[in-house]
Amino acid sequence: MALTKVYDAATVFKHMNGILNVYKPAGMKVKHVRNAILSNICKGLNEMEQRKPRKLQENIRLLGTGTAADHVLHNIGEQTDLSDHLLSTGPRYLPRDLICTTVSSLGDHTSGVLLFGINRGAGQSTSIRKNRPVRVYHLIGHLGIATENNIPDSRVTMRSNHRHVSADRISSLAASMQASHQRKMFELCGVDLQTQEAYELACRGLLRPADDSQPVVYGIKLIHFDRPHFTLELHAINETQEYLATLVHDMALDLRTVAHCSQLRCVRHAHFDVTDSLLRHAWHLPGIIKNLRQQRDILRAHPQLLRQQRVELQATE
Amino acid sequence: MILDYMVGFTRNTMLKTRRILLGISRSYTATAKRGVLAQDKSKIKEYSPKTTDSHEHRVYVWGFQETGALGLQTNVKKAKERYTEMVHHPTRLQFSNNNEITDVAAGYGFTVYAVNRDDGETLFGSGLNTDSQLGFQVKGNPNDPANLDVIIYPTAIKLPRVQGETDEDMRVKSMSAGRAHLVVLTQNGTIFTLGNNSYGQCGRSIIEEERYSKSALIHRISQEDICGKEDEVVQVECGQDHSMFLTKKGRIYTCGWGADGQTGQGNYHTAGQITLIGGDVEKEKIVRLSCSSDCVLALNEAGDAFGWGNSEYGQLDDSELAETQINIPRALKLTKSIGKIKDVAAGGSFCMALNDQGLVYTWGFGILGFGPFVEQTSKPQHLLPPLFGRNDFSNETTVVSIGCGVFHMGAVNSDGDLFMWGKNRFGHLGLGHKKDQFFPFKAAINGKVTKVAYGVDHTIALCKTFF
Repeated sequence: MALTKVYDAATVFKHMNGILNVYKPAGMKVKHVRNAILSNICKGLNEMEQRKPRKLQENIRLLGTGTAADHVLHNIGEQTDLSDHLLSTGPRYLPRDLICTTVSSLGDHTSGVLLFGINRGAGQSTSIRKNRPVRVYHLIGHLGIATENNIPDSRVTMRSNHRHVSADRISSLAASMQASHQRKMFELCGVDLQTQEAYELACRGLLRPADDSQPVVYGIKLIHFDRPHFTLELHAINETQEYLATLVHDMALDLRTVAHCSQLRCVRHAHFDVTDSLLRHAWHLPGIIKNLRQQRDILRAHPQLLRQQRVELQATE
Repeated sequence: MILDYMVGFTRNTMLKTRRILLGISRSYTATAKRGVLAQDKSKIKEYSPKTTDSHEHRVYVWGFQETGALGLQTNVKKAKERYTEMVHHPTRLQFSNNNEITDVAAGYGFTVYAVNRDDGETLFGSGLNTDSQLGFQVKGNPNDPANLDVIIYPTAIKLPRVQGETDEDMRVKSMSAGRAHLVVLTQNGTIFTLGNNSYGQCGRSIIEEERYSKSALIHRISQEDICGKEDEVVQVECGQDHSMFLTKKGRIYTCGWGADGQTGQGNYHTAGQITLIGGDVEKEKIVRLSCSSDCVLALNEAGDAFGWGNSEYGQLDDSELAETQINIPRALKLTKSIGKIKDVAAGGSFCMALNDQGLVYTWGFGILGFGPFVEQTSKPQHLLPPLFGRNDFSNETTVVSIGCGVFHMGAVNSDGDLFMWGKNRFGHLGLGHKKDQFFPFKAAINGKVTKVAYGVDHTIALCKTFF
């Protein structure tokens, strides 16, 4: 099929369905990202060719006869319903005309992959959320300074020396925490440990949690260490920004120092990668449409994102 | 105080003037942010914990506490209170904070620690002392010779020295404990045996009606008396009521109870005489011995397993007309198919082996780790690697060492995590409950496990710290 250029807002709106992968900047609320995306979509749509005002029915006469302007007014009146005219209705597309749901939220201080379900994508977004896919984070910890809520925008509560901390110390602690969290995962998957079923599940490796009440961490790995900063790669389900920041703080306490989490970045959500996500300067209609198409390809390549049969989990999911 | 107030005051006035000047009533920092900016940075507290631990190891203990084997209690009265009889979770041993512990061994209801100390004591023990397996211990006043049957906190076991023996000579090289006896090998090659000798397990002749309780006798054997001048003992291993000595050349010497053939001497007698054993291990260089009750496994340099002793559950031989007791070391046919073996462990009714690919094989009778339905297999089968922490996030993890007590098994992986399974007598799996565990499950220990001592109802783990 030959590609045709679309000038018509209605056609674009009709095809505006699916999952959108947006790069959420740090310090911006998810609500604000959503509002910005929706208003940009509407702005884009309203700049395109709009639908003509509706035609009036023949027998309805708007105006009486006999005045000087009669002829002109009749001419307009016969063809168009002025109450449906752009000048009287206002812009054709408003943010509230679009359905937009988040797959799962990110904290204010977190940046990275944020998934929205647009229009008919809302259903897909719900099924992705219910499958509880893994999110991958890069957490940058800052050693030596503890803050009230473990992220930088609060008062400093404690300072500490961190010269004794080394990369292998952090790695070895991370490995041990990973094992402990995987054990916890087993307790959260909702199986009685004394049964055959539990044994069979254990043989399969990693499991998804039964509900979204408790955060589950699958992997913690140190990927970069440059004192006082260290970067952890973390795979988790049901996590929150507060939980991750506290985790960094707790790790530091085990290393006999203090730390806070200076940056949190979600680099992957299921198969939706940060490299595909839409940066803020591209939050306009063409960018959004292109991104929707990319995410559609990803969903087509990985149908299990919408229909998950297995209870066990692979690292790539 | 006044200064603070002044600063606040001037800021307020400044804001007001600006407001008047610009005619805009907006402040450009949020109240919360202003609080952060206004924080007095000079008053932040400094957190300076102790970052260097003078001791390399720390010890975690769990299981049955009433025997005192865990050494967690410091007060006899408190130890008798309710709900103190068992410890379900691995608990850090206070004694290990103050002492450099190099090795641990667990007997039936007692524990011994090899320690490096300035005052020259090298061996400490706690737990049951009914047969003086922890030496002659006196309560409080040394003039009061009331022997403690239960020692609740690790106490020094004074090894008798001959003229010229230094603290260095008395350092523990290897030690092992049985039902009610203890065998310790020191750096200079002297073997000390303590406790019950009713079957000759202490390596001395049996004395009829000997009283073991409140006995101050510590038997001393020179390694030359066992294996001659050109060889040396490298490992001691105790079963329930017998003792075995492994030498550098790979020879095995045994003594003690032989009713199930566990001494491997070719008969079922009890023997107080330490004897070299032959059979299939005669020409082999044995590098490892393992025994927890009455079935013995040995491993040679090439990775082949040998066994003798009790085989009631087909642990050593699964053929139709197999004997249930094997009194002479025999090369195991069962383990031929599992490749080169790196480590073996023999429990009460089951055996384990670890091959060079890091797979753990178990066979015998009991909770073998294959779920609640598998109670007995005579063919060694391996447990799947995901059970020991291998998954997509840690895909290089392998099991590096295995071990077992009479009723439970354990494995340590390359990340230093300890996985336990088996009967959960008195919570000695360390999983936080008393229910049996039918497949390997990680015990929560705050450290990298380097050695585990599996007792009959308690477990001791020697760990390294993270920081």
